[in-house]
Parts: sequence; C-alpha cells; structure tokens
Amino acid sequence: MSKSKAELCQDKYFNTFYITHIKDATNFAFYKCGNNAVALDLAQEAFTKIWENCAKIEIGKAKSYLLTVVNNLFLNTKRHEKVVFKYAKDSPYHDHTNKNPEYLLEEKEFKLKLTNAISSLSDNEREVFLLNRMEEKKYREIADLLNISQKTVEKRMSNALKDLRAKLGDLKF
Amino acid sequence: MNKEKDILKWFNSELTSEQMKERYPEEDFSLLEKSMFYTKNIERPNVNPESALKDFRAKYAIKKEPKVIPLNFSAFLKIAAVLVVMLSASYFVFFNGGKTISTDIAETEIFSLPDDSEVILNSKSNLAYDKNKWKKERKLTLNGEAYFKVTKGNKFTVKTTAGNVQVLGTQFNVKNRDGFFQVHCYEGSVEVRHLNKSYVLVPGNAYRWVKNGKGQLMSFKGNTPSWIKQESSFDNVPLWQVIEEIEAKYDIEIVTTKIDVNVLFTGSFTHKNRELALQSVTIPLKLSFNIAGNKVELYNYEAN
Repeated sequence: MSKSKAELCQDKYFNTFYITHIKDATNFAFYKCGNNAVALDLAQEAFTKIWENCAKIEIGKAKSYLLTVVNNLFLNTKRHEKVVFKYAKDSPYHDHTNKNPEYLLEEKEFKLKLTNAISSLSDNEREVFLLNRMEEKKYREIADLLNISQKTVEKRMSNALKDLRAKLGDLKF
Repeated sequence: MNKEKDILKWFNSELTSEQMKERYPEEDFSLLEKSMFYTKNIERPNVNPESALKDFRAKYAIKKEPKVIPLNFSAFLKIAAVLVVMLSASYFVFFNGGKTISTDIAETEIFSLPDDSEVILNSKSNLAYDKNKWKKERKLTLNGEAYFKVTKGNKFTVKTTAGNVQVLGTQFNVKNRDGFFQVHCYEGSVEVRHLNKSYVLVPGNAYRWVKNGKGQLMSFKGNTPSWIKQESSFDNVPLWQVIEEIEAKYDIEIVTTKIDVNVLFTGSFTHKNRELALQSVTIPLKLSFNIAGNKVELYNYEAN
C-alpha cells in the first residue's frame, strides 16, 4: 500500500503520470473555462497539488484526483478570461462535397454563431456539452468524472441544447 | 417531452440521426446535426506534454528541490540550541506524566488518582505514579503509609520496596516503613505478594511483616484506618515501629538507648497532642519520658 503511494513521489512515475494525463487535464479545464492559456495554467497547478501530496495519493486514484483538483481550482479562482473557441484550421464543412460559395459563407456564419452560443452557455452546461461532443463521453461517464448524478448531467445537457437551439435561431423549438 | 428525451438519447449515441428522422419526419434537425458536427471541430488546447512537463518542473514543482541556503554555522547553532530547549521542555510537559506526591512530618494528604480512586497519604510518605500510563495500567509506588479507596476497573497495583499489593476495586491500607510492611483490607479483596508468597486478604484481614521475621496474617476490627481519624492504633507491634510513627507525626527525635524497643505494644496514640500521645505509649509499658526541645528520651520508670 505504502509502496504504491510513494511511487508517485518518484520522478519516473510522476513524469509518466504527467505525460499521460496533461492533455486530458488541460482539455478538461478547457471545457470548463473555454480559454487555452487558463486551461493549461489550471492543469499545471493541479499537477503541482498532486506533486505536493504525492505521498498521500494512490497512483490508481490519481487521475480522478487530478480532475477533481482542476475542477476545484477552477471554482476557487474563477479567473474568468474571455471564453474563446476556435475551430481547427483544417476542419471540414458539414457537407464537404458542396463547394458552392453561398453555402460556404452560410456555414462560416453558422460556425461563428455556434462558438458564440457555446461561449455564452453557463460553465456547467458548457462543460457537460463539450465533454459529450468533443470527448464523445456518455452521460454516465461525465457524471462519474464530475462526481455528480447522471440526472444532473442530463439536465445540464438538455438546458445547453435548448440554449443553443434558441441562439442558433431555431425558432421552432 | 419525449422529443427532448430522444434528443438527449441522440446526443448520447443511443439513437442515430436516421432513427431521429424516422421518428420525427416533420422536424428539421439540421441545426443540431450541424452543431454536433462542428463542435467536434473546435480546437482543443494544443499541449505538448514534454515541453509542458519541462515547464512544470521549472515553474511549478519548485518545492521538489528546496533552495540551498549555505549553512551559517553560528546561526545554525543558535537555532539548534533553541530547538533543543523547546523540545526537551515540551518533552517534560507532554510526555512525562510522572507524578509524585509527598507528605512531611505531621501532614496527611487526600487526593484523587486519574480514575477517581481516592488516596489518603499518611505523614512522611510519598507516592509516585505515571499519569500517562494510568489508563493502561494502574500502578503506583508507595513509600510510607496510605489508605486507598480504589474504583472498580483494571488491576490496581501498589508497589513497595517490601512487596506488591494488587486489587481490583476495594479499600485498603498499605504501610511500608523501614523494616515494616503492613496491609489492611477494608473492603473487597486484596492480594499481597511478599517474600515470594502471595496472600489474599478479605475484609477484616491484615498482613504484617516486621524485619527479621516472617509475614503473618491477622484479623482486626474497624472500617477505616485509625490514622485517618487523627489517631494511630497498634496491635502487638514492636515498640520501635510505634516510636517511628510518633516521630513521623510529631517533629521529635526519640532516644531509646535505655529501653528495649522490641517489646510489643497494643494501643493507640492521638495526633493532636504530643504529651498525651507519649503518655499513651509509655504508661502501658511502664516507661517514662523526658522532653528536651525536640529530643525525647524514654527510660524505664521502675529503674529510676
């Protein structure tokens, strides 16, 4: 028991742990705060906490601890930088066979509306929505990850979708 | 409402886009479909794990390698000295639960032990016990005479130079003076270990040992030791022991060169009046006494 606990204090174990999880942690922070630089900062700080408490943390539980720390750090600091979403440079269009300039312009506009709408979601809704969409996580997994009930996840997701539809001008909903 | 649920299912990949269109042919899901598609293309933070780790080591994990402050020896010594003083002081405050209670000539002391057992300590006696270990073992060391009212609980042991007395919960009196060891049991039962033998006393029983002699059991009357009532009682006790007891009660020195101190005495003396006390011991033995300051000389009445 004490062996696996102390493992995290050894450089080689910690480095492996860091390399495996830094991306996840940063992405997770990013879904929360929607800002690249802040996300990385939060992740780094979370790893600092892990490092300081390495003797107390079992390596098997370290990942969930890491995400919890990211979450808490975000809630504690709440340094709300502007939420900025960009699309990957080579992101394709929905209908990639349609090269009609009008279509392309419309899609561009839609994408902009979409990022704005996502930015204006509440932190909790955005987090659930992006974990679901970008990480393709099931509601159950999100619930486990955030330590909340699946019902809450579904509620947040449902609110997020309603919000998005309203902002995207889908008046039918 | 069902539609809301189905949309949730759809986003949870429990339903496909085709199934959605089948279920709700009238609805246009293109906006949601597009949102689904484009959201996936949102740029994630581009983290390079290796360089992030380097950065982490440099900026965040500084605590790993504490700054090396060159050893300033005199400052170090000062700090060390202060630490030593503080540590040893705290050791005595926190870890040393040893307690000693002593009485001087003519004093008696009543006090409670940590488990609320009551002790009355007779004159010129001392009692030591460890407060911290008390919960684990009730053990104390007695030199002199004391009366115990022990609350029920673990074994309660009184160690004396002569022998050990063990009880569970009872009232008893232990007297351990030079060359004299006596235990009276007033309630419950008391085990006395002495000279490699063990005796169990029941109320009304006493054990006595006088130096050069054998330990013996005897019976007595009364339900508290007489000394608690400002009186010392003796039953066939050698005179030297009685004299020691008077010396412990009154600040006097008794000279006994002219008499036989091994005669046995039965009777008692008061703790309130020196003259009276001396008389009650000497008259039955046909002795007399001269007081000079705090020296008292005993002599045979008939010889003079």
